[in-house]
Amino acid sequence: MVGERRLSIFGVVNALILACVAVATLYPVWYIAVTSFSDTASVVQGKVLLFPKGFNFDAYAEVLKNKLIPRAYLNSVYYTSLGTFINLLFTAVAAYPLSQRTFFGRRFFMLAIVLTMFLNPGIIPTYLVVQKLGLTDSVWSLVLPNAIWTMELIILKSFYENMSTQIREAALIDGASETRILFSIVIPLSKPALASIGLFYFMGHWNSFFLPLIYLNDKDMYPLQVVLRDMLIFNTENDAGLVDRAALAPQALKNATIVLSMIPVLLIYPFAQKYFAKGVMLGSEKG
Amino acid sequence: MLRHIRRDRELLLLFIPCILFYVIFRYGPLYGLIIAFKDYSVFTGVLGSDWVGLKHFIKFFGNQDFWMLFRNTLLLGFYTLVFGFPFPILLAVLLNEVRVQWFKKSVQTLSYLPAFLSVVIICSMIIDFLSPTNGLLNQLLAALGFEKKYFLADSGWFRPIYVISEIWGTIGYESIIYLAAIAGISPTLYEAARVDGATRFHMIRHITIPGLMPTMLIMFILKTGSMIRVGYEKVLLLYNPMTYNVADVFSTYVYRKGLLESNYSYAAAVGMFEALVAMVMLLGANAVSRKIGGKGLW
Repeated sequence: MVGERRLSIFGVVNALILACVAVATLYPVWYIAVTSFSDTASVVQGKVLLFPKGFNFDAYAEVLKNKLIPRAYLNSVYYTSLGTFINLLFTAVAAYPLSQRTFFGRRFFMLAIVLTMFLNPGIIPTYLVVQKLGLTDSVWSLVLPNAIWTMELIILKSFYENMSTQIREAALIDGASETRILFSIVIPLSKPALASIGLFYFMGHWNSFFLPLIYLNDKDMYPLQVVLRDMLIFNTENDAGLVDRAALAPQALKNATIVLSMIPVLLIYPFAQKYFAKGVMLGSEKG
Repeated sequence: MLRHIRRDRELLLLFIPCILFYVIFRYGPLYGLIIAFKDYSVFTGVLGSDWVGLKHFIKFFGNQDFWMLFRNTLLLGFYTLVFGFPFPILLAVLLNEVRVQWFKKSVQTLSYLPAFLSVVIICSMIIDFLSPTNGLLNQLLAALGFEKKYFLADSGWFRPIYVISEIWGTIGYESIIYLAAIAGISPTLYEAARVDGATRFHMIRHITIPGLMPTMLIMFILKTGSMIRVGYEKVLLLYNPMTYNVADVFSTYVYRKGLLESNYSYAAAVGMFEALVAMVMLLGANAVSRKIGGKGLW
C-alpha cells in the first residue's frame, strides 16, 4: 500500500530540511566548543570548522588564571542557587492560600496579582525602589525584585487546585496546621510542577545579565554573564562601531568561558526535556 | 468578615511575603511613576521633588528622536512577528510528518537548544559569525570572491540580523505549542482521508493546517499584543552608534537616558509612554480576539 511505503520523496526531503534545522541550532554551539580547544592561529585563519585544530587546553588554563572569571563563576552559582531557592519558596508558599477556594479576599488578591502583568512601570521606577531599599550592590537586588513570577505563581496555584482536597481535610481534622500541611503534604506532592517552574527560574537567574549590569557596580560581584558581556563589547559606548568587536577579546578565551558557562545548562538539558515542554504548554494555556 | 479573617489567619500569615512582594516591587514602582511628572533628584526623593506637569512628555514628543524610536520599536516588533510567525508552525508540521520516532525526538530536542542559551551567548555567536576579520560568513564571502563586510556596523543589516537570530532562537520552543495542537487533532480524520486516497500534502493542506487555525489565531493575537516589547537586551548587546538610527528602541533609550545619564524623570516618562502603547495594543488585540474567536484572551 502507498501509505505504508517507508521511503518516499516527501519523507526524504522532509528529513533533509529537519536535519538542516538541527544542524543550524547545534552547529553554533559546537563551533564555540571546537574553537575553545583550538590554537588561535588556526581559528583566525578560518581553518577550524568541524574539529579542533592544534588541540589544547590553553584557553581553559587562561580562564583559571584570569582575575575575574573564576570568581564570576562562583558568583553566578551563588546567585542562581539562592535566587532559585527564594523563587520556589516564595511561589510555593504564596500559591497555597490562593488555591484555597474560601481564602479571605481571594478574588481581590488574584485580581491585584494578575493586573501587574499588564501594568508595567518600566525599568526606572523599579530601579529607584531597589536603590531606595539599599539593595543595590548586594545579591538581594537580583533576588527580591523578581522573587515571584506571576505566570509561574498562577501555574502552581492551578496545580494545587487540581490536587485532591481529601488529604488536606483529613490532615486538618487530625489537627495539622496549614503550614504543616503545606510543607509536608502539598509541596512534596507538587514536585513535578515545582521542577517545571524551577527550571524556568533557574534559567532566568543563570542567564540574566541586565539586572546584575544595572544593580551591581563592584566588579568582584559580577556574575559570569556580565563578565562575558564585557569581553564581548568592551567600551561599546565609545568605540563608535568602528572597531570589530569580535577582535576585542581573544576568541578562544571568550569561547572557553562560554563553554564553561553552558556546563550547568547542558547538564540539566536532558532531564529538563519533559519539564521544559510542560512548562511552555502550561504557560501558553494560562496566558 | 472578622470571623473569616480569624478563620484564615494562618493562611493570611503565610500570604504576607507575597503581599509584601507585590506591594513593594510591583505596585511600589507604579506609584514611583509619578516622577515622570516631577523633576526627580536623588536628594529630594520622590515626594520632595517639584511637580513639572507634562514637561518631560512634551520634551520627548518634541524631540527628533521620538519618531525614530517609535518607528524602530514598531518595525523591529513587526518584522519579528510577520517573518517569525510561520517558522514554528512549519517546523511543527514537518516534525509531525516524521515517522521515525528517534529522529523526530532528536530534531525537536535540538531545535529548542537556543532557548537555553543566554542572550549574551547568542549575541557573542552573532558577533563572531559576522566578524569582518575572521567571521565564518565573511570568510565564506571572501572565498567566493566577494568583498568582506562589517554587517553589524551597517544600519541596513541590523533588522535582518535581529529578526533572523530571533527566529533561530525561538523556532524550537514555539513549535512545542503547535505540536501539542496537532496532537489534539482527531486521528480518525487522517484515517478517513487515507482511505479516500489522500496524499500527505492533501492531509497537511486539508486537515493539519485547518486543525491548527485556532491556535495560530490565538498566538498571532498574543504576539501582536506584545509586539512592542522588543528584546531590548539583544538590541543593547548588538547595536552601536553606527546603527542607532535603526536599532535604538524605547527600552534602550530609557536605559541610556535614565541609568547611564541619570535623567530619571525624563526616562520614566519615556518608559511610561511605552507601557501605555503596549497596554493599548494588548487591549486592542484582546478586543479583536473577542470579535473573531468569540472569546478574549483572559
